[in-house]
Amino acid sequence: MKGNSRLFRVFGVVSISLASLAAVSTTSGASSSGTIAKGQPVLIGASLSLTGDFSGDGQAFQQGYNLWAADQNKNGGLLGHKIELKILNDTSTPTQVVTNYQALISSDHVNLTFGPFSSLLTLPAARAVSRYGYAMVEGAGGAPSVFQAGLHNVFDAALPVANGLVPFAQWLASLPASQRPKTIAYVTSTDPFTEPQIPVAEKIIKAAGIKTVYYKTFPAEATDYTPIADAVAAANAQVVILGSVDVPTVSAFMQAFEQAHYNPKAFIATAGPDQGKTFVNAVGAGNANGVMVPNAWFGGSSNPESKTMVAEYIKKYGGTAADVNADVAEAYAVGQVITAAVKATGGFDNTKIITYLHSGVTIQSVLGAVKFNSLGENNQPTAYTFQWQGAKFVEVNPTTDPGATKILFPKPAWKN
Amino acid sequence: MLKVRNVWWIAAFGALVLFPLIETNPTYTGIGVIALIFMGCATSWNMFSGYSGYVNLGSAVFYGVGAYTMTLLADHLNVPGNGDLFWLVPVGGLAAMIVAVPVGLVALRVRRHTFVVITIAIFFVFQLSAINFGFTGGTAGLQLPLIPWLETNYNKPFYYAALAIVVFATLLSVAVRRSRFGLQLLAIRDDEDRAAGLGVKVFAVKLTGFTLSAFAVGMGGALFAIFIGQIYPQFVFDPLFDISIALMAIFGGLGTLTGPLLGALVLESMQQYLAIRFSNGSLYLIIFGALFLVIVLFMPQGVVVYLSEWRSLLASRRVEGARVVPEEKS
Amino acid sequence: MNGTAVLHSIIDGVLTGSVYALMATGLTLIFGVMNIINVAQGIFVILGAYLSYALSVHLGIDLFVGLAITIPTLFVVGVVVERLFLTRIKGPERVVMSILVTYAVSLVIEGVLNMVFSTNYVELHAWYVDRSVKVFGIYLPYIYLLGFAMAVVLLTALYVMLYRTRFGSSVRASLADQTSAALVGINVKRVSTVCFGLGVAVTAAGGMIYGATNAFNASSSYDLISRLLVIIVLGGMGSIGGALVAGIMMVTIEDLVSVVWGPVWSNLAFFLILVVVLSLRPQGLFGKQTVRVA
Repeated sequence: MKGNSRLFRVFGVVSISLASLAAVSTTSGASSSGTIAKGQPVLIGASLSLTGDFSGDGQAFQQGYNLWAADQNKNGGLLGHKIELKILNDTSTPTQVVTNYQALISSDHVNLTFGPFSSLLTLPAARAVSRYGYAMVEGAGGAPSVFQAGLHNVFDAALPVANGLVPFAQWLASLPASQRPKTIAYVTSTDPFTEPQIPVAEKIIKAAGIKTVYYKTFPAEATDYTPIADAVAAANAQVVILGSVDVPTVSAFMQAFEQAHYNPKAFIATAGPDQGKTFVNAVGAGNANGVMVPNAWFGGSSNPESKTMVAEYIKKYGGTAADVNADVAEAYAVGQVITAAVKATGGFDNTKIITYLHSGVTIQSVLGAVKFNSLGENNQPTAYTFQWQGAKFVEVNPTTDPGATKILFPKPAWKN
Repeated sequence: MLKVRNVWWIAAFGALVLFPLIETNPTYTGIGVIALIFMGCATSWNMFSGYSGYVNLGSAVFYGVGAYTMTLLADHLNVPGNGDLFWLVPVGGLAAMIVAVPVGLVALRVRRHTFVVITIAIFFVFQLSAINFGFTGGTAGLQLPLIPWLETNYNKPFYYAALAIVVFATLLSVAVRRSRFGLQLLAIRDDEDRAAGLGVKVFAVKLTGFTLSAFAVGMGGALFAIFIGQIYPQFVFDPLFDISIALMAIFGGLGTLTGPLLGALVLESMQQYLAIRFSNGSLYLIIFGALFLVIVLFMPQGVVVYLSEWRSLLASRRVEGARVVPEEKS
Repeated sequence: MNGTAVLHSIIDGVLTGSVYALMATGLTLIFGVMNIINVAQGIFVILGAYLSYALSVHLGIDLFVGLAITIPTLFVVGVVVERLFLTRIKGPERVVMSILVTYAVSLVIEGVLNMVFSTNYVELHAWYVDRSVKVFGIYLPYIYLLGFAMAVVLLTALYVMLYRTRFGSSVRASLADQTSAALVGINVKRVSTVCFGLGVAVTAAGGMIYGATNAFNASSSYDLISRLLVIIVLGGMGSIGGALVAGIMMVTIEDLVSVVWGPVWSNLAFFLILVVVLSLRPQGLFGKQTVRVA
């Protein structure tokens, strides 16, 4: 028993010292008064996935937030207060994301919060933040579940996910019968980002008389895409819509298509081709040609705000306009929404900011106009379709847009 | 008469009860909730894996089943977003136990290291099923009703519910340890064939232990689901959970009573702290991995045993030659 | 569903499965000789892939030629890890401790890889990566054929080493029984170190093929390790032949299920097969009945 009591003592000592430590470090709760003393910086907190599954996007978001803060600070900060960003790493887990936002608000006393990456983490984060009455402006939580949660404080500056493929579907349907493809294959990952997009597009495409010859879902965790891609190739559809969330998926499908000597007339993937240099490096320079992707933004956008941001980005991180990840713009737009809200409300009061953002105002951002509905969705932006044409990533859809380049159709052959 | 060790237990318990009353900052009470959930799960995990030597790397199966049971029931029974949700926590635990029986029937047929891998495989079967079957909401996950409590008090009910799970798991662990059944589990760890030869119904004992250990883990998962408010297959059927629980118990001291409690408390808090402190993700991985490596290599029996051995060594220097061997390390 | 598609998926499965079998062989060799479950095997594969990437992008060295550099490099990495960390593992819970130590090692390597290469996905390129040859109406990618050929060559080399050399007989003796091996004068320590090095070295080759057929970053290692573990358990832990058969079988069945029933069921099938086989044969397909109880 002697040995035992020592063990218990260790446990006791640790617990007691933790409790007493806590007593010392106790700090008051959140301060959301909305005013910041003159000369003091405005502190903005965000949690991003800097490691783990979402780390690629998380780090691009970090660039976007930093870029916005640097630009804004050059112009005198927010209402004369210098912006300080406090970004914590949530390791792509919901547990850490909740801890992080609680820490940001109650320990670091940030004045405002920005969203994390991906719908998966946005919901737990928004729930935690809502308890403090903070607004959460985010650029990566566009899945329908985010808006169905009944939260009053979430604002997604990016495009709602489900409508992404609409312009592409409408373009297919609008082609004259002689040119219009006859068959289409849908293959999508089981993911809250991709799955909602497919039925919306299918409805439009079916109505135009294009026959579905293949429609299957594959698990988000799949590692070997070859058999699936071979099955799609065997179906030999003229158009392929791929519901992908990342570069590896698209690259695996493209590789298998090429190996099977299958070249659809049109190929669009929901995410992956938008990743600039990363995408081109993965699939090989020649193969990107003709590949399309729906998105709310691209590096070559003619939007003046966007042009400025791209120039800043290149100055800071190097590369070309096509290398700028759409995540960067989505993050940057989050900052712009907050800039507008802070200026309009004349302070940092989150209640006022929430009311203002719900009031139906239109804010200009690198993503174009942003306007929130009652759920916090931004229904303003038109979804665009982008296409790789040679080494260039250009806007091709909607065709009525003055900045739109003529769509490359049918898609050129694979080449390396 | 109050024994010395009981005094320390009461003191530790008292400190944990008082913690959220003294420390009102939600950052720390929030970390407290998570740490307590892990303490309960690690203790319960240890009650089977630590005692029997069968290392279960699929305990997230129980955690996930608890979480999904909670969420699906809350939805079907239309439980409003308030304290009523907490009544479903034990139901989550029961569901985990029910699932543990068939899982155990399959997994426990094999010996030790194969058991480790088959639990991983069964874990993936559950995770992939949660992704593929419709009633789980697939990858879009499921939501729990929003609980409209204020931020200053939001964490407290979760904290005390988690503490209750810890107390339950600890008492169960003590009870098993002192029972004939507990001795049989230990006998299996030391030499399974001999235990069987001495008349221990090896399979039945293992299955009982495995099933019992599911209860607190299932409750932990159910409570976690309400705390986060939203569940996804990959977050409640999380391979990192499998590993973390085992790490915590082994870090503290496999098969000891205080080891998993201490291991979970220290490791979970440390991990969360490191993640906050080192926002450079890669550095965080390197530091966490390196720290972890040092601890495992230098204190292979776990911190608790290491500390007590060290203290005994000091004591034995004073009382010449009388080396006290810690009872719990067998 | 047509016959060609089924045949196609079987051929794909055998070709890709052989590469998995190669990587799994390393893992099972390490387990068989040392009683160590090396969960860092996944990150070693990725490390191998990144080394090939660095050589081909920065120095323009062909992927297969680069193996002459990456295989020895990973052998050395394996030896260093074994000497520094694994020799320190003692005590009754050796298997469990080895999981912890190698997991910690893999976390550190993952962090370093993230720092050096960032988390952006990359893929290996060469002229043969995207091309294919048509055989009886089926397109067979060169990279799969080359990967298969490479796996066969390396596995044959491994076989010759194990069954035709003095060192090989020491390894086999250690596989059978460490204590007896030590008694007949075999330097079990040295055999262990070399085996760990060899087990890690094969990941360089596996990693190169993996990197040429998948875009990857350091986190890809988690998918890999769970599949490799399943393969060696199914084959019977410590059985090299078992790892071979199980690797090819698992990937082939997975591909078949994907084509016949749909992709969502293929991963599930992968793990279900293991559960079913182990319920019927707890020691795995080729495992010895008396599996060592640690």
